[in-house]
Amino acid sequence: MKKLLVILLLAVVGYSLATAYFSINFGESRIGDVAEKNTVGAFYLSQTPGQLSVSNVVTAIVVNYRGFDTLGEVSVLFLAAMGLGSILYMPKKKGEHTVAILKPSSQLLQAGSKLIFPAILVLGAYVFIHGHLTPGGGFQGGAIIATGFLLMMMAYKDFTMSHTILTWVESLAGITFATIGIAGLAMGQTFLENFLPIGNLNDLLSGGIIPIIYIAVGFKVAAELSGVLETLLSIKEN
Amino acid sequence: MVVSPVHYIAVPLLAAFLMPLLAKINRELLRIVPGVVIAYLGYVSVVLMNQVVKTGTIIEVIAGWHAPWGINLVFSPFTGFLVSLMVAMAFIIWLYGYRFKSIDNEPAMRYYILFLMLVTGAVGIVLTGDIFNFFVFLEITSISAYALTAFYRDRNGAEAAFKYLLIGGFSSTFLLLAIMLLYTQVGTLNMAEIALRMHDVPTNMKITILILFLVGLGIEAEMFPLNGWAPDAYSQAPSPVGVTFAALVVKAGVYGLIRIIFTIFDVHGAYEYLIVMGAVTLVIAEFSALRQSSLKRMLAYSSIGQMGFVLIAFGIGTQEAVFGAIFLMFNHAIIKGLLFMSGSYLVFNTPNKEIQYLSGYGMKMPLISLFFSLGALAIVGLPPFAGFWSKLYILIAAADNNLIGLIALILGVSIVEIVYYFRVMGRLYFGKPAEGSIMQKPTIGGVVAMSILAVTILVVGFYPDIISSYIQSAAATLLDKAQYIHNVLPNADLSQLQNLK
Amino acid sequence: MDTINYNQLMSIGIYGSAIGLILIGLYAILIKKHLIKIVIGMSIVDAGVHLLFIAIGYISNGTAPIFSPMGEKLIEQGTPMVDPVPQALVLTAIVIGFGVTAVALSLVIRLYRHHNTARIDQIKSLKW
Repeated sequence: MKKLLVILLLAVVGYSLATAYFSINFGESRIGDVAEKNTVGAFYLSQTPGQLSVSNVVTAIVVNYRGFDTLGEVSVLFLAAMGLGSILYMPKKKGEHTVAILKPSSQLLQAGSKLIFPAILVLGAYVFIHGHLTPGGGFQGGAIIATGFLLMMMAYKDFTMSHTILTWVESLAGITFATIGIAGLAMGQTFLENFLPIGNLNDLLSGGIIPIIYIAVGFKVAAELSGVLETLLSIKEN
Repeated sequence: MVVSPVHYIAVPLLAAFLMPLLAKINRELLRIVPGVVIAYLGYVSVVLMNQVVKTGTIIEVIAGWHAPWGINLVFSPFTGFLVSLMVAMAFIIWLYGYRFKSIDNEPAMRYYILFLMLVTGAVGIVLTGDIFNFFVFLEITSISAYALTAFYRDRNGAEAAFKYLLIGGFSSTFLLLAIMLLYTQVGTLNMAEIALRMHDVPTNMKITILILFLVGLGIEAEMFPLNGWAPDAYSQAPSPVGVTFAALVVKAGVYGLIRIIFTIFDVHGAYEYLIVMGAVTLVIAEFSALRQSSLKRMLAYSSIGQMGFVLIAFGIGTQEAVFGAIFLMFNHAIIKGLLFMSGSYLVFNTPNKEIQYLSGYGMKMPLISLFFSLGALAIVGLPPFAGFWSKLYILIAAADNNLIGLIALILGVSIVEIVYYFRVMGRLYFGKPAEGSIMQKPTIGGVVAMSILAVTILVVGFYPDIISSYIQSAAATLLDKAQYIHNVLPNADLSQLQNLK
Repeated sequence: MDTINYNQLMSIGIYGSAIGLILIGLYAILIKKHLIKIVIGMSIVDAGVHLLFIAIGYISNGTAPIFSPMGEKLIEQGTPMVDPVPQALVLTAIVIGFGVTAVALSLVIRLYRHHNTARIDQIKSLKW
């Protein structure tokens, strides 16, 4: 009975979504002529290489035009880590810090992950350092690095990461982001406004504060995701 | 550095990021820093409200890109009033929660960080002028709320939090879908710009987007039938958190609903929809409150009912009705705050927080019982307490619009309210206390917090003019869509706007 | 004639699969009894919504919105650039979805610890 009702509800929802979306033609340009700047999309596409010297427009949007959203997003990550710690809090007995995976992993995994791990770290760092030049950025790079850590944690039972270091990296990165924003305020401009020279297009050191913020975000995301994974993996079964 | 609206967000965030480092230095700092930060925000509120009264709405541009290319914060008489109320309540809640017994036993750092972020999120929701930014702040608020609901280590908190999370997840899904569709139609994310371009959107699409928004925001504003999460969340969370839900979170949700309907959309039936849904929420919630045996759940249902009342008032839509609605939001925050605070001390040590065990507590906890009774009398709308004025103005507005049925409904529901509140008061003052019942002494912070609220209720009750000028300008600003758009986009062409009221 | 059919096919395929994901996820949330399956359902709904969001920004024959040397060559040839705004918004939305999923999973672990079961029909101590 309940299943029937649910399927009926889903049919209604699906039908209304479908009619709404199929009226939006796929692939049709809705941002208008780039030169006319009638919509925000066109504005960002036309202004970014000139005004910000950043080649990756999505990075420019995430860090500069809509940097406030990114600040909020970074705090969501921080919140998730804090919430996790608060919900799973159990008074810890001294010296207990093992991963709950009981069977040792295969030789292939152990050897392979030792080999790949440095490469993953380098790739992740490359992605977030070059966020303003190539597809990618702080979040993507941080996620890649966290995947590397996850691989090591799954392969080796005793691979642990010091929670202290993770907490320090998280907090420092978050403080960097907020401070850069406030620095913009202190210099008489608006919050999160760019106050460094913007350099030349396609240079590594271009875009003013954008690479700095994205690097901080990369560290923060890597630290937070790894922290979350580590917390979840060290749950002991009673 | 000049005080500006972005301080509301930047300062608490910086403090929250700093807290894990501060925790290593000194544990006492953890309890004090949130109080200091919120006190600073209170100072910011005073300065900005003064400025707004003299020179009009303050628009703050973020990252140097003016609207509609960047994000902007809007501190108007309306949003500023709401934010100041939220910050004031946040400070009182901090006072109440300082060294609150059941929180102190747990790791305090995470509690204070989550609390600070909850306040930041709620304030951000009200201040922002960009619709995706609104979504981000809503998620910040929600995630802090989920984690705080499950703060105690008992089993009920986790279940309430999970239910809240599921329903909140639906809310964000619908909101994202709505924002997505809206973006394809108007090509911008700035609220004022969307309002300008609204008339170009085909009506079918407009209705679909509006429905998606109403479902998404109705969940946060505790509109029927989407408020299933609220009674559990309010009753299982630690008491300061419960007050925060009632005073900040639901206000932000209602604000979102109102902003969508009053400023962004121009659809006819929306106001009537608010009245109907508000009435349904009011009736069902108040009757459910009658059936509750647990004090906190009763208060939670009563809170939902009050929000229904607020929605009705906004739905009527005239200047007096909106004035009454904002006044009611103010009253609800302080009165419900007092009720939750005193109520939780009353039932602190009773099993299941049941009302039936409260016999005779009036003698054993005289001050707290007095606070509770004051709150109860105020909320049912008896003069000379604050709640009387808001009810009066809303009833007058309803009468002016010939909504006699509505007046009858409101008065009828008031009788239900009187019944269940007086039932508790009767228990408090008549009856013998059970053997071996242990009273919980409130902390000094708790007593101060409750006294501030009680005094405010009395003062506003006797001299409502103290705040009514602020509320009048708030109401006028909300109703003036053209003014909002003009403030954000000074060069906009307003000729195409249609005003519906 | 061929191009029109291709576009319609793409549109049905992408919109259809995104909406399908949303519906499958909703089904899992509403019907399934195991808490982990419910959380997975939430993730699937998120995936569907994000896919839908990105699909909206696509412009036919468009290229990535990056002004690399190769990208500029393509622009000179008249290739449009895809709308960058939905991509940026989805970036934020994915992270937020991750945060919610993390909190949800920790709640599931808590509930499992208390009740020794992860099935929602056996954990109903609070009235619905």
